[in-house]
Amino acid sequence: MSKKTKIQIDEKLVKEIASLARLALSKDETELFVPQFNDILNYVSILNEVDTDNVPPAYLSSANQSVTREDLIEESVPTDEFLSNAPQAKDDYVVIPRVHIEQ
Amino acid sequence: MDLHELSLQQAQELLRSRKISSEELTRAYLDRVQRLDPQIKSYVTVSGELALEQAREADQRIRTGEGSTPLTGIPYSAKDSLSTRGINTTCSSKILANYKPFYDSTAIRKLKLTNSVLLGKNNMDEFGMGSSTENSGFFTTRNPWNFDYVPGGSSGGSAAAVAAGLAAFSLGEDTGGSVRMPAGFCGVTGLKTTYGRVSRYGLIPLVSSFDTIGPMARSAYDVSLVLEAIAGHDPKDSTSRIEPVQIYSETLKKSENLRGLRVGIPKEYFVEGLDSEVDASLRTAIKQIESLGAEAVEVSLPHTQYAIPVYYLILFAEASSNLAKYDGIRFGLSERDGDGLLDVYLKTRETGFGAETKRRIMLGTFALSAGYYDAYYLKAQKVRTLIRQDFQKAFETCDALITPVAPTTAFRIGEKITNPLDMYLSDVHVVAVNLAGIPALSVPCGLSNGLPIGMQIMGPHLSEETLLRIGHMYQSQTDWHMKHPSCWND
Repeated sequence: MSKKTKIQIDEKLVKEIASLARLALSKDETELFVPQFNDILNYVSILNEVDTDNVPPAYLSSANQSVTREDLIEESVPTDEFLSNAPQAKDDYVVIPRVHIEQ
Repeated sequence: MDLHELSLQQAQELLRSRKISSEELTRAYLDRVQRLDPQIKSYVTVSGELALEQAREADQRIRTGEGSTPLTGIPYSAKDSLSTRGINTTCSSKILANYKPFYDSTAIRKLKLTNSVLLGKNNMDEFGMGSSTENSGFFTTRNPWNFDYVPGGSSGGSAAAVAAGLAAFSLGEDTGGSVRMPAGFCGVTGLKTTYGRVSRYGLIPLVSSFDTIGPMARSAYDVSLVLEAIAGHDPKDSTSRIEPVQIYSETLKKSENLRGLRVGIPKEYFVEGLDSEVDASLRTAIKQIESLGAEAVEVSLPHTQYAIPVYYLILFAEASSNLAKYDGIRFGLSERDGDGLLDVYLKTRETGFGAETKRRIMLGTFALSAGYYDAYYLKAQKVRTLIRQDFQKAFETCDALITPVAPTTAFRIGEKITNPLDMYLSDVHVVAVNLAGIPALSVPCGLSNGLPIGMQIMGPHLSEETLLRIGHMYQSQTDWHMKHPSCWND
């Protein structure tokens, strides 16, 4: 968030982000998000005040500990149970709509 | 005394001496839920038939004397982000409205092993995103103390259920205050556990590096009994802690005072914006803790003001990737009337997610996108290190830290929902704990205009025993945790 990355969110950018996030947004939502995103990103920019040049990032929440276990064969979930929540299933497979659309 | 008024210990004594059965106790709770919950709206799903079945199994276990536990036969509820086999698990999201997991989360499985009785699943902000339950995809839970006010969030349904006597205890989940804040707003005792102390297996994730499951109940002692049952290492969660679980309730029973303990009062939590009555209640509570033998000293957590921006940036990023799996393909809602695969993604997510969830997915997608990762996510993770170091330094001289749970008591329904940033700021006292992965207990310590005030007691990693001891000793000298809203007697 240095000066050069300071950014103004506009409708075009909101639409681009929505497309990356695979979200269809209504026109109202798009218009609502523009000022809200600017407010929120403006607020979080106070982190710029903090000098973090020699500070490592803290990705883990507790003491680093590596856990291993025996590589034993266990029973797995029966396929029909696994598929019981699938919107559409056939012959032990999840069915999805066509990926390629003829233009 | 009505059955819902019994503490866990009292209920267990009556169950063991066979003066009551678990089936009677369960029916009493289900009756109350049926009568009162249409107004309070703390449950998304009530699994009454299954509960009665579980109660009869518990009665059988007690009758045959095959080792009942402190929770055997006790009716409880769980936040709807904990997977329950064969029972809807919705995270209060339309996208999971009909989702029935085929397995139990570890915490639920462990409670099943004690033969406690699951009454149903509690309302929450969608996927845990919110501080009021107003972001539930279904309805807003009411604060039992005043139905015009929010119960807090995101585990607002759990807190309201315990406060209104609609469950003997509840399992909540805390990502950034979601157990402590509603516990404070509803006047119940809630524990945010050390990251990894309770297995996250089967907990539907919001922020994988912050999420923790914790008990919500009517006293620190009741919380300790639940924690003993659900804590411990789990091979199915590689981040779960391997250290043995203490018998917290035994320590509490033996505890007589707080001599030798030093509690820190972080000055950054007592600043402008703190409600004067909340401030006064906390000052009184600290004096009572001192009178039990603890020494109180002022300390500083200098990076406190950065906790909210750090928390939300990391949350946006992790939540946006965690929620990518809701795509209408393998489970959950699927909108298939469009043209091809991309349309399924777009329409499912448009229909299934609420406004706040969309907002956070979008902000996370943006913060993680090429060119912005270093400026937002990486920067936040670095400041997180500094916040964690603040706590480490404070715990070099203190056993615990005491602060308010929130700067004010519960706010009105509708008051903050139109301004997301304003809602985020209500989490100012609770999020730093999740950044550090430490435990914290929320304990009722006062009332202001008929709404509860909460005290937060934070400690170093795995200090649950100390926190519960402070809470328990405080509750042995005060009766704030015994005060109930008027609907308690309905």
